[in-house]
Amino acid sequence: MIKKIAFIALLISTTSSFAQHFRTYDWEKNPKLHEINKEEQKESSIAILKKHIVEYVSNVISPEPKLYETEHTIIRVNDDNGIAQHNTVYIPMYEVRKVVNIKARTISPSGKVVLLNQDNIKEVSNVEEYGDFKIFAIEGVELNSEIEVLYTVEKNYEIYGSQTLQANYKVKEAQFLFITGKLESNVKAYRTLETFEEVKINGDNAQLLTIKDIPGMVEEEYATPKANNIAVVYQCFTEGQNITQNMFWTNVSNNVGRQFFPETIVSQATEDVNKIVEGKTDLTNFKKAALVDIFIKSNYTIVKNNNQELSDLNYILTNRSSSDYGILKVYGQYLKALDVEFEIVITANRFLTKFDPEFFVPGMLRDFLIYIPSEKKYIAPDRFEGRIGEAPFNILGNYGLFISSDFEHYFSKIIQEDPDYSRIRRDMNISFNNDFESVKIEQDQDYYGHWSETSRAVLSLSTEQGITEYKDYLTGSGIEDKEILSYEAFNTDMNQLEYNIPFKVKTTISSEELLEDAGDSYIFQIGLVIGTQSELYQETERINPIEMIYPNRYNYEIIVNIPEGYSVEGLESLIIDKSYVARNGEKTAKFESNYKLEKNKIVITIEEYYKTHEFDLNRYEEFREVINAASDFNKAAILFKAVE
Amino acid sequence: MSKYFFFFLLVPFLCISQDFSDDDYIYLKRHEHIKISLSDDKFDIVQNITEQGKFISSKNLYYANESIGYSSFSEIKDIEAFTYIPSTDKRIEVDYIETKQEFDNMIFYSDDEYKSFIFPAVAKGAETHLNYKRIIKEPRFLGGFNFAIHVPTKSAQLSVEFPKNVEIGYVEFNTESIKLEFKKEETATSNIYTWNAYDTDGYEGEDDSEAAMYYLPHMLLYIKSYETNDKKVNILNDLSDLYKWYVSLIDQVDTDSLENVYKITDEITSSLDSKEDKAKAIFEWVQNNINYIAFGDGYGGFIPTGAASTCETRYGDCKAMSNLLYEMLNHVDIEAYRTWIGSRNKPYSYYKVPTTSVDDHMITAAIIENDTIFLDATDSYVPFGMPSAFIQTKEALMGIDDKNFKIIKVPIQKSSQSKTTITSNITLENSTVKVSEKRALQGYDKVEFVSDYIYKKDSKTEEEYLNTTLALGNNKTNYTNISKTNFDNKGIPLILEYDLDIDSYTRNIGNKIYINLNIDRSLSNSDVEIKDRKYSKKIDYQFERDFTTNFQIPEGYYASYIPDEISFEDPNYGFKISYARNGSVITQSKSIYIKTLSVKKDGFENWNRFIKSLRKAYKKSIILEQI
Repeated sequence: MIKKIAFIALLISTTSSFAQHFRTYDWEKNPKLHEINKEEQKESSIAILKKHIVEYVSNVISPEPKLYETEHTIIRVNDDNGIAQHNTVYIPMYEVRKVVNIKARTISPSGKVVLLNQDNIKEVSNVEEYGDFKIFAIEGVELNSEIEVLYTVEKNYEIYGSQTLQANYKVKEAQFLFITGKLESNVKAYRTLETFEEVKINGDNAQLLTIKDIPGMVEEEYATPKANNIAVVYQCFTEGQNITQNMFWTNVSNNVGRQFFPETIVSQATEDVNKIVEGKTDLTNFKKAALVDIFIKSNYTIVKNNNQELSDLNYILTNRSSSDYGILKVYGQYLKALDVEFEIVITANRFLTKFDPEFFVPGMLRDFLIYIPSEKKYIAPDRFEGRIGEAPFNILGNYGLFISSDFEHYFSKIIQEDPDYSRIRRDMNISFNNDFESVKIEQDQDYYGHWSETSRAVLSLSTEQGITEYKDYLTGSGIEDKEILSYEAFNTDMNQLEYNIPFKVKTTISSEELLEDAGDSYIFQIGLVIGTQSELYQETERINPIEMIYPNRYNYEIIVNIPEGYSVEGLESLIIDKSYVARNGEKTAKFESNYKLEKNKIVITIEEYYKTHEFDLNRYEEFREVINAASDFNKAAILFKAVE
Repeated sequence: MSKYFFFFLLVPFLCISQDFSDDDYIYLKRHEHIKISLSDDKFDIVQNITEQGKFISSKNLYYANESIGYSSFSEIKDIEAFTYIPSTDKRIEVDYIETKQEFDNMIFYSDDEYKSFIFPAVAKGAETHLNYKRIIKEPRFLGGFNFAIHVPTKSAQLSVEFPKNVEIGYVEFNTESIKLEFKKEETATSNIYTWNAYDTDGYEGEDDSEAAMYYLPHMLLYIKSYETNDKKVNILNDLSDLYKWYVSLIDQVDTDSLENVYKITDEITSSLDSKEDKAKAIFEWVQNNINYIAFGDGYGGFIPTGAASTCETRYGDCKAMSNLLYEMLNHVDIEAYRTWIGSRNKPYSYYKVPTTSVDDHMITAAIIENDTIFLDATDSYVPFGMPSAFIQTKEALMGIDDKNFKIIKVPIQKSSQSKTTITSNITLENSTVKVSEKRALQGYDKVEFVSDYIYKKDSKTEEEYLNTTLALGNNKTNYTNISKTNFDNKGIPLILEYDLDIDSYTRNIGNKIYINLNIDRSLSNSDVEIKDRKYSKKIDYQFERDFTTNFQIPEGYYASYIPDEISFEDPNYGFKISYARNGSVITQSKSIYIKTLSVKKDGFENWNRFIKSLRKAYKKSIILEQI
């Protein structure tokens, strides 16, 4: 009897394996060009179809299901750029067990069909850190033809995965078909109102998401377009298994915790730590962490290759080379040895991924930070130009998984503790030489926070030309005939032991072009002294939520010395007041400039700030006005007139 | 006592040596020894490379990354690499080396690979040591040696050891900037040539300058010939040997199944009479229908794909496209030749070095009514009759037949061929400047506009794209009614028309209005930073721009001031801006010309005078006052 049941079970499984969807899924036998409208014809390219099939199939031989992924795209190419974007195809072989099939064809406007010659599929191996690829060029592409690619690969079983459905070109129809049969699974879509529909594929349970007319993702300023694409994440478990999201996170916390919170300190680490603190016993947690960060970044190299040993603590300590993951073990050793309490944060670059605490996919767990709770400060181990401080700007605002030394975890949005962390203070003293032949500008500036970090990194690491360009920026960009009379920078070392020590720069420049001779008077283009400010354009509807690089603040005081025998006119162009008031009534962004006349001086003050890096998309116009106020100030000009 | 001894030894050393203490990483030593052996007419060539670097600071540990590239014509063997820490006398071996395939956006598929590894435990003071062998499989690719690279080198040495019956050729480039010592030695059977350079500076590229090889002191080496049984066998003795080798590769081009190629050729030329029209039709067909995709694959990197295949797949690299043109043109009896050429990135001449280092590109040359026309279809937008901009001035090696070849220099295309005419009509309405403008772009000016528009516009709207590329007026300029004519039609000027509204452009001060008619400020920020600049300024093509701007004085006003004429004239570049009054209209005429492809270092001051004078002229405003 038992034998019989086993036999039946086997029979069922084999039948269901014959019914694998990818085996019967195919493209049209007799393809024809699809209809597209006039607007679509103007685009470089559009996708007629972008279909992804993820199929988990129970496997009789092993408890792990088989995993097949099918990609089917039909792209219309309307110009050379469209052709160039789509006429080469790269199929990643990462985790691919077997290529089931690859085919491609071009349908020309005249209806001619050119099939890909299979001999022209080439292999490239170990490309940078992306692994192997199968690559081919599409054959027979003409303007206004359609490129159709269909392939299926069998992959090593993975519980989870993700797929982006949006592209930088319009997609007329995107489909995500998730076939899991009797296996337990979860699937979730981001940034779409469409929902999954339960369907049966050859009798198997499946879920289908269909989205029509997805606009092409556009690059916008103050935005994270790559992270804003419509996308899908999924999980499919082995037979009889069902894992909650919390179980996943707990599992990660335990695994990570065990690796990075050491029970014992190895002897090499003790030796290093002695070198790091040089016998000092009265160090604050901040100083200890800063010293550790500086030591690691001056002695270790982060490597991206397949060497497994780069995650082994002893190997790392000896070779001073590590994977971006392994280096956390070194931080763990040093900080523990110095008795500094810390947490490990796993998160993602907000420009690429929005971290979702409610759905576990390892693809979101890309970046590691170390958090020092007593100081509310972060260390970014893989940013060799950064030192302990506020969260790195590319992480700011994303959620993170925080793991403490007892391996407990919690989620938190990664925020900047001090909204004024990144700020510029700038004092200028402006005078005129030789009866308005030239203008002399003495500047004294302090750059804090991310500004100081960038300034130090560029001046320490950039090429000669990069450094020259940066000095141009520091002394006032856009003044074409500018002559730098003096330049002196302070606190330029990337290694700083105190929190938020400013990078300082004192300069003197002169220019003739800021002055214009206007008969008996002189026009002074004062607006240009603050450097070229770019204008934020928006002719089409804004798509992406507003995210700045980081909150920041500018405080300028500009003193203009009025030469004897002259009066001044046109000061009203110096008064600008634009602000953004958040829903809670708080003024979160502002540009305000004003002036006072004090005897023979004009004292101009500018205050501009962005207290947060996120602004409401519905209030884009107000935000834009604040941003553009600085470029309005660029146009300010005043007139010096001889007193009769 | 020993201290003093040390001191004396040190002094002369310091006198001749730079300390490079401002650098983060330097090479103490970069030595390359090439050993050439010959037996039974077969060469055995091994390069032995020895490098020793030092970290002066720990600011940039990135220098620990090492990669050794090689193609299918060479092989890397016996890599020995380690870090040495002088302070502790410790040696830490490199224990992990990966082989990776080259991959970049420019070349779709290449079989080039590299060995990649990291020097361990580097920090301030650490030394990196590297030895390896490179086996050279093709005797025509002996290569070269750079005496200076991106970081300073204390001792750079190239030596070549070769049997006495072998003759080698060597050519130095840019070595006048360094002190290069040369020494000849011989053993019983071999000659050894050695070149030494000490304390060479690190070289960094600069924007708008010529490619690095125009400046880097380096050497190209090649095998000229060898003698065997009293017979001289040439490898690359002179240019005819290089050509002979190219012919042997061209003989391998697949010339089968050309029926479809001929059919298409006949279809597009049958209604045309003149050779020029036919050649133009063929060239444009290839430009429009074959998509450029670059391949680099062993000898496939030298042998063009057959024309039938290129025509079927509709893609190809420069060799494939030039070979297809060659077949199509010859099919309709137009004299056409396969042609090898170096781009402007290559500083070499075939006459000076008869090796493959000279060229990196292939085109087709057609002779029509005694004119040689250089056809490069990899540039999809260049008009028939003009070569692609990046091969101007370069030697074209035209393969006439199996034995004969010809070298012709690709002429510089005159500035008048890339002339853009701009006509603008400006009015003033309630302090907003209104402009209607028409631009007619030709030659390379058009090529650049069209290709940037197609490939760089991305998701920007047309308004935003023009605003950022033309940068007219100020950053409040608003574009409407944009139209483009003859965008796809290569031979005739592209007409670009639009209207502009420019807010906050005029300055109203007191009772005067200041208006500047230079809404286009071409070249205003192209002065050269002379102080730190090392290399000459490269210009992609010669051009002219002619502006005519008509300004309608608003009613109730008169022009109380009109700027004087300003000009700057040099044979190579210059401008002239003048104003004329005609009733209530002021017409500004502005012409700018660039008639050179390069500004040398000693010409920078004059160039900057030109730009400064141009900027001064751009600043001049008209002053309007109420009547």
